[in-house]
Amino acid sequence: MTYAKPLPNVDDDSRPQWEGFKQRKFLLFRCKTCGKWYWPKSFCREHENEPFFGNLAWTEASGRGKVFAFNVHHMAFHPGFKDEIPYVYALVELDEGPLFGTNIVGIDPKDVRVGMPVEVTYEDITPEWTLPKFRPAR
Amino acid sequence: MAAPRFAIVGLGMVTGPYPEGITARAAEAEAARLAIADAGLRREDIDGAVQLRRTAGGGERTPWADAFTRMLGLPAKFFYTVGRGGALAGLGIMTAMGSLDLGIAKYVMLAGAVEDWTSSQRTKKQGFRGMVHSEKAGYWGKPFGDLRAPSHHSFLAARHMHEYGTTSRQLGAIAVQERAWACQNPLAKMYGRPITVEDHQSSPFVVEPYHLLDICLVSDGAVAFILTTAERARGLAKKPVYVRGLGMGEVADELWWEKKNYTHMAVRTAKEQAFAQAGITLGDVDVAQLYDCFTAEVLFQLEDYGWAKKGEGGPFVEAGNIGPGGSIPVNTSGGLLSAYHYGDLTGLSEAVLQLRGDAGERQVPGAEIALVTGHGGELISPGMCSIHTSLVLGV
Repeated sequence: MTYAKPLPNVDDDSRPQWEGFKQRKFLLFRCKTCGKWYWPKSFCREHENEPFFGNLAWTEASGRGKVFAFNVHHMAFHPGFKDEIPYVYALVELDEGPLFGTNIVGIDPKDVRVGMPVEVTYEDITPEWTLPKFRPAR
Repeated sequence: MAAPRFAIVGLGMVTGPYPEGITARAAEAEAARLAIADAGLRREDIDGAVQLRRTAGGGERTPWADAFTRMLGLPAKFFYTVGRGGALAGLGIMTAMGSLDLGIAKYVMLAGAVEDWTSSQRTKKQGFRGMVHSEKAGYWGKPFGDLRAPSHHSFLAARHMHEYGTTSRQLGAIAVQERAWACQNPLAKMYGRPITVEDHQSSPFVVEPYHLLDICLVSDGAVAFILTTAERARGLAKKPVYVRGLGMGEVADELWWEKKNYTHMAVRTAKEQAFAQAGITLGDVDVAQLYDCFTAEVLFQLEDYGWAKKGEGGPFVEAGNIGPGGSIPVNTSGGLLSAYHYGDLTGLSEAVLQLRGDAGERQVPGAEIALVTGHGGELISPGMCSIHTSLVLGV
């Protein structure tokens, strides 16, 4: 069956992270000098940076966090989402610090709460693409 | 306060929906023609041009940029394109002032147009709900169903509700008061269609917590205006509307890192710079055109500028402070929510009309100082609607 929803729009700055999802690795951009975590890709704010992000690297993170804010989509803007509504799109505050945009799955939208602990769960949507969604922490 | 050095001297507007065969380009050219006539200038006088184009969020960089001055028939020495999402007018003015200051141009045409209504009618036939706008490389949320502005802007309302207990009914009060203004603006799409908070509450959820009536319109239309020096402005057809202050803010300056960009907008530096140049305080603002792509953005700005304390915007709007007869008239055209959505050109055009005393039934008596804000960003990362522009106009 053809996958009817939109595929990720990847650019060269985000590509390594998408490769990671495929391998079940939750990568964030991390400073090797001070250990601070970033997403999306950024220079480290804590000190001078080496040329071309030399002091930062995509690094495996916990894939755990808490719901920071969420909404419930009641209309399908794209025909591929017609069978999904109502679905939850959320900002998850990762344990490492950054906010991450994703779906909250495995729970009735009515039961989602700000502050709820969640963890990553991977969904292989095509042979090429894996989506990092989040579910209530087990 | 320094004497103002630049002024808006001509305004042209085209409101949609466009007749069959009329494109955004054609509407932009028509608005420019109207602005030249409004100023009492001739086409040959226009020697610089700035194309105002929504580049992100709801829009994209135009594929037909090279046609701008050709379509407008302007003998300008230069043109370039400016825009960050809905932040168009403030950025355009910031750059145009440089060319006037250096003597590169004497009269700069700034023009922008949208054909969102036309394109939404087209994509609707393809099974989409409204227009499609998430095709940028690096746009994060698309596979998760983050496909339209409400998909991420609703985080702002949700977070403000969580932190401060703001209610949907309070956001509804913003929609109701802007609609009341629209009912005094014959050009507004929602003219003659007043609403109540109950109407807001019973309108369907689009992206909860946003109801349909929390969300801006999808429009066709164009606005053009001419900027020149204060000296040249004095001899022209219309009362000059002076640029008294202009300031800029970015959430990446602080709010993004503090995770406060879901309850605040990047108003702090923008307001400080604009108000200091103008030599004004908040109480001097007679009419405010606050960027209102959604209701919560209005609430945030009422707090961030200081009309209400942070977290107390809900009761402030519930008390009727922003509608006709309120303590601070906000979005007197009806705004993006109820009149027409041309980015911050909606607010700019309304501010010019108010300051000239040409706003008809909705005229704020004796309006001398107007605030116009712009708001926009790339949305590569969810919810980082980044820039805030603060423009103080006066007569």
